[in-house]
Amino acid sequence: MSATAHVLVKTPAAASDRLRRGWRRVMRRPASAAGAVIVLLFVATALGAPWIATSDPLGTDWSKIRKAPTWAHPFGTDDLGRDNFSRVVWGSRISMQAGVFSILLAILVGVPTGLVAGYYRGALDQVIMRLTDAWLAFPFLILAIGLVTIMGPSLTNATLAIGLGATPAYIRLTRGLVLATAALDYVQGARALGAGDPRLMSRHILPNIVSSLLVQATVSIPIAIIAEAILSFLGLGVQPPAPSWGTMLNTAQQFLETAPWMAWWPGLAIFSLTLAFNLAGDGLRDLLDPKDY
Amino acid sequence: MLEFLIQRATISVVTLCVISLVVFTGVRMIPGDPARVMAGTDADAAGLEEVREKYGLKDPIVVQYLRWAGLALRGDLGESIRTRESVARMVAKKLPITIELACFSLLIAVGIAIPAGVVAAVRRNTVWDVLASGASLCGVSIPNFWLGIVLILFFSVRLGWLPASGFVPFWESPVANLERMLMPSFVLGTALAAVLMRQTRNSMIEVLSADYIRTAYSKGLAGRVVVFRHAVRNSLIPVVTILGLQMGALMSGAVVTEQIFVVPGFGRLIVEAVFTRDYPLVQGVVLITASSYVLINLLVDVSYSILDPRIRIRGAGP
Repeated sequence: MSATAHVLVKTPAAASDRLRRGWRRVMRRPASAAGAVIVLLFVATALGAPWIATSDPLGTDWSKIRKAPTWAHPFGTDDLGRDNFSRVVWGSRISMQAGVFSILLAILVGVPTGLVAGYYRGALDQVIMRLTDAWLAFPFLILAIGLVTIMGPSLTNATLAIGLGATPAYIRLTRGLVLATAALDYVQGARALGAGDPRLMSRHILPNIVSSLLVQATVSIPIAIIAEAILSFLGLGVQPPAPSWGTMLNTAQQFLETAPWMAWWPGLAIFSLTLAFNLAGDGLRDLLDPKDY
Repeated sequence: MLEFLIQRATISVVTLCVISLVVFTGVRMIPGDPARVMAGTDADAAGLEEVREKYGLKDPIVVQYLRWAGLALRGDLGESIRTRESVARMVAKKLPITIELACFSLLIAVGIAIPAGVVAAVRRNTVWDVLASGASLCGVSIPNFWLGIVLILFFSVRLGWLPASGFVPFWESPVANLERMLMPSFVLGTALAAVLMRQTRNSMIEVLSADYIRTAYSKGLAGRVVVFRHAVRNSLIPVVTILGLQMGALMSGAVVTEQIFVVPGFGRLIVEAVFTRDYPLVQGVVLITASSYVLINLLVDVSYSILDPRIRIRGAGP
């Protein structure tokens, strides 16, 4: 059998073997697998909100103010007679949007900056790292509050503020990973073969640090989701009547004695989504880092 | 050791300078006349002129920054637009309340996290480990403002055991103070406990597999002695760093917790300042918060170097 034929015969088997091995590794961590499934369910809910929500999340009904859960309104209604279920479903879109886009922003700013700092080192590294230290000195929420004060409260500004707050962590992480990777033999080999700085950074270093950045992203997204909810809860994020879980909890706080269900569902939604992300992130870290903790 | 201290202190001073620049620039990025921003919308021409004079708003921006930084160093952070009270005095009034809240939260967090982390590591892969790790994961995932609402629902609304909100100074009534501080402290301490517990567990697992622990066991020392006298002490070194890094999260958490439980502390002052567009107050509290965070981390670095001599030896190297 020729070498080509051998490869042709072996490839599907190797792929299925890899799949089987991957599946076995996932099944060894059922909690992480469950977390990943729940995250996917929330993604599906966010994308399919117009079809899943049973009524208009902004539609008020004065005859249904603060009604306890029923079959028609499984999560009850709020202080303006709006259906809580529909608002929680639409709220998942806002939370996902804020969580994912803010971390994307942090990655887009933080990874190239950390890459440059770690690769070139020297004075540039010192300047970047001192600025990052100063940036890190602003407690996340205080930084977000400061930025929202300047830019005004809205979902976009809250996302920007959360993203900028998360950026220094990515600068530090990327720099550290680059420092470790740039010293490895294969990078030195590529340099000896004449690869330029951009090629070394983009083709040889970046692909080898992506997995750690991915793990960091799964850790940061739930933090960003909670941050958006906090900003909206404080009135600095999404503005009413938009259905954000944070604003829903803010309203619910005023009716704890008469309509406690208003506080249960948006809170449970945040809790389950962040827990699911954390479980999935733990699994991903275990898969990528064999250190047995 | 001295070289290490000087190095760390220099980095902290540079960081503080950058922070002051950011805070100074931030307020000047708000659209409109900076004098109007600093004096408020209801200030008259004389008031605006006074602010321009005090902060030298007609001078070049560098001179303005140096004057502002000089005043800030002397403790003059300006006046609140709303109350016309000195920002420094307002902060001094509110800060002790938040410090009390933070101290109680720290006590609760350390009281839960260290024993749970040690048990999870010593009884690794048992039901205790699973329970402690699960609780830690839930603690990290639960939004503290929702936890606060749930606690109010149970302990105040349903059971009527604890007051839902408010604050009574400790010297007026210690019991009333503790009653009102218990729930906010627990809420603020939960997330911190979760992070500390994870760190303690990981650190303990690493220490328990070290050679000197094996030696201690082979000498015939009892398990309890090995764990408490040899392992716990060393495993707590990284926990101190995490504790320092978590101070920022504690400050952020205080903002939300004080809002839910209507505790009139520093965190509530920040939110009020933002909503009333009291820019000098926002500027002052952001500057104080960031500066104290830098100083706390400097103290943590120093204490870390005292606890672990390898750090200062490495830090003093070339």
